[in-house]
Amino acid sequence: MIIKRGIGAAVAVGATTLLLSGCVTGGGGAESPSDAVDGTGEISGEIGISWWGGDPRHQKTNAVIDMFEAQNPGVTSDRQGSDWGSYWDKLNVQASSDSLPCAIQLQGRQLNDYTKYDLLLPLDPMIESGAIDVENIPEVALDAARGTDGKLYFLPYGVAYDAVGVNETLAEEAGVGVPEPGYTWDDYFDWASEAADALPDRARAISAGGGKQNYFIGWALANGIPVFGEDGKLGFTEDTLRDWWQKWEDLRAAGVTETAERSAEEPAAGDQGYFATGAVLSDTVPGNALTPMSITMKGIGNDTLTTVAYPSGSVGAGNALYPSGFAIPRSCDNVATAAAFIDFFTNDVDAGIEFAGDNGAPTNTKVLDALLADDTMPDTKKHELELYQEILENDPPTIVFPPGYQATFEASFVRAYEDIIFGRASIDDAVATFFAEANGSLGE
Amino acid sequence: MTNTTHPHTRATVLPRGSRTTFDPFPRQASKNLVVRAIVKHALLVCLLLVMIYPLIWMVAASFRPSNEAFNGIGLLGSRFTFENYVSGWSEGQINFSRYFLNSLVITVLSIIGNLIAASLAAYAFARLEFPFRRVLFALMLGTMLLPMHVTLVPQYMLFNSFGWVNTILPLVVPKWLATDAFFIFLMVQFIRGVPRELDESARIDGCGHFRIFGRIIMPLALPAIGTTALFTFIWTWNDFLGPLLYLNKDSMKTVPLGLNAFLDATGASSYGPLFAMATLSLAPIVGFFIVSQRLLIEGIATTGLK
Repeated sequence: MIIKRGIGAAVAVGATTLLLSGCVTGGGGAESPSDAVDGTGEISGEIGISWWGGDPRHQKTNAVIDMFEAQNPGVTSDRQGSDWGSYWDKLNVQASSDSLPCAIQLQGRQLNDYTKYDLLLPLDPMIESGAIDVENIPEVALDAARGTDGKLYFLPYGVAYDAVGVNETLAEEAGVGVPEPGYTWDDYFDWASEAADALPDRARAISAGGGKQNYFIGWALANGIPVFGEDGKLGFTEDTLRDWWQKWEDLRAAGVTETAERSAEEPAAGDQGYFATGAVLSDTVPGNALTPMSITMKGIGNDTLTTVAYPSGSVGAGNALYPSGFAIPRSCDNVATAAAFIDFFTNDVDAGIEFAGDNGAPTNTKVLDALLADDTMPDTKKHELELYQEILENDPPTIVFPPGYQATFEASFVRAYEDIIFGRASIDDAVATFFAEANGSLGE
Repeated sequence: MTNTTHPHTRATVLPRGSRTTFDPFPRQASKNLVVRAIVKHALLVCLLLVMIYPLIWMVAASFRPSNEAFNGIGLLGSRFTFENYVSGWSEGQINFSRYFLNSLVITVLSIIGNLIAASLAAYAFARLEFPFRRVLFALMLGTMLLPMHVTLVPQYMLFNSFGWVNTILPLVVPKWLATDAFFIFLMVQFIRGVPRELDESARIDGCGHFRIFGRIIMPLALPAIGTTALFTFIWTWNDFLGPLLYLNKDSMKTVPLGLNAFLDATGASSYGPLFAMATLSLAPIVGFFIVSQRLLIEGIATTGLK
């Protein structure tokens, strides 16, 4: 029942190669007469809209779609909401049968799996024609929504980012406090080592984070190391990965991190993990997980949880932005309405207030300001939005994920790391295995 | 004639109140039997508890507040509450009365369709002579070897072109067209076990194929029918991918899709209501299993010839 995001997605996208291979010849320009579809036209008729999420997300998305339909009489919608794992199964079947709904929600991590088969319309012509407005959206958020050819393929409406979660209560007990803004990766490791000695028995300082791909990507970006190369293969060297894993092995040997056995047992759902249940002082958490984790914590104890930005490195901040947004497939037969819907969802302030930043901080700065001014928002949610603003001010790096990323990178990374911590392979062997596996499936 | 009693003879004289037949379990050792039975049953009950504990845990978790769901493998939380059942049944977009109704309709139609179509096809394969019979039988068995993913996309394209997406037709109509080779095969084997003499005697009495099918074969095939109904029920009730692909509208969703809405890998999941509704969705399956189990046993017991 708990769908591990990586594995569920890996299985789903593993089937993609089977399914989408049938689409290579047929999916492209067979029907669209003009390449530059500019999104202008009459706004009416039916569009299919699909998104992921649980029931609270469905409620909010449906409310926003209702608002759009009220503003544009004559528009009807076929609404398809599902959970993250099953969302990709369904989308891939629809993609293979050329029947994608007109507005599909995507993230950068999977985007290039679909642009590889030329399934999406570039949105740049629609911006030029005025059908879509990006005036109030930060450039760096738009850059994360570009494909490998540099064109914009989805309009980001909500930005997720990774943060370092810190258990404030435990931090005070250990006498170390919360890391100061602008701290570096070395500072982070020193802070964790210092805390490890002084923590009570029920908690460890940090998780066995060598296998967390978000930590690695954050560290690489902060130190100016490219994660992916021009050809879509891995952009870093084996030595880099070796150093990274060696560092974490040293920490694990010193007892600073969780044990290997406990790490492997950790529940996949973030809000049931060790950080949320107070067994670990600090871990990487999605920025929007602070609210659900605090709720879990309330049922267990009295610790206060908070989040801080990722550590910075030699080049600067390490927090990449991971926006989600709607894309328009080539097979859509009602592009004007779809473009209007996407624009409304992202830019309309009332819609933004209704949606309440459920899928990350709103990209549109006016919507973000409106939410921050809202007093009924819970404190943990406000903190999430303020941290996003802080990250935005610090010039976050951009990362473009190549095709094949979602299906292979995380699974191979975790597997190689677990081989190391369980003593099944040396670091050199694990690095070699990971490089072979990842380079085999990434890129064109 | 001697009156001497041989010492060995005396030793084999049986004690007072005994029978003349050899008794392997002499009466004073009958306590042993009871003890052994108790020990055996105790072990079995322990094994049963270990196997069924996850289920018990889930039921217990459904009576705990939602944020204490994963507080350990114990059964008790800070308080006993029904709020998960209340909120899980119809909170927000979720409406389980609708979902249970949809699941029930699809499942009942699937069972009836499967029973009728599979039994007719099985009768044809087992009893009728027609050209290419063996080839077609082999072909039918061959369809069982196809993994689901191979037919998934072509089926979707087919049903999409009919305009059947967003209806229950893609889920139900194939069952009425005998596409479940597993059940056809099951019934073929069963019907082959019914002696042809019955058919012939019925034919002498003037029955055509349909009467033989309806009056002779089907009553005898009750175990196979029970098995088909049971498995169709379980598989259709638990089917997730089919409804996921074809049922988009929220009012058409089935129970597994409804349960899926409680999970959100990217946000906050509601585990308490999830466990509550999962417990409720198990009830029809357990009930159906109990009922059809009796049918299976009765079917086997009443077959005269076996």
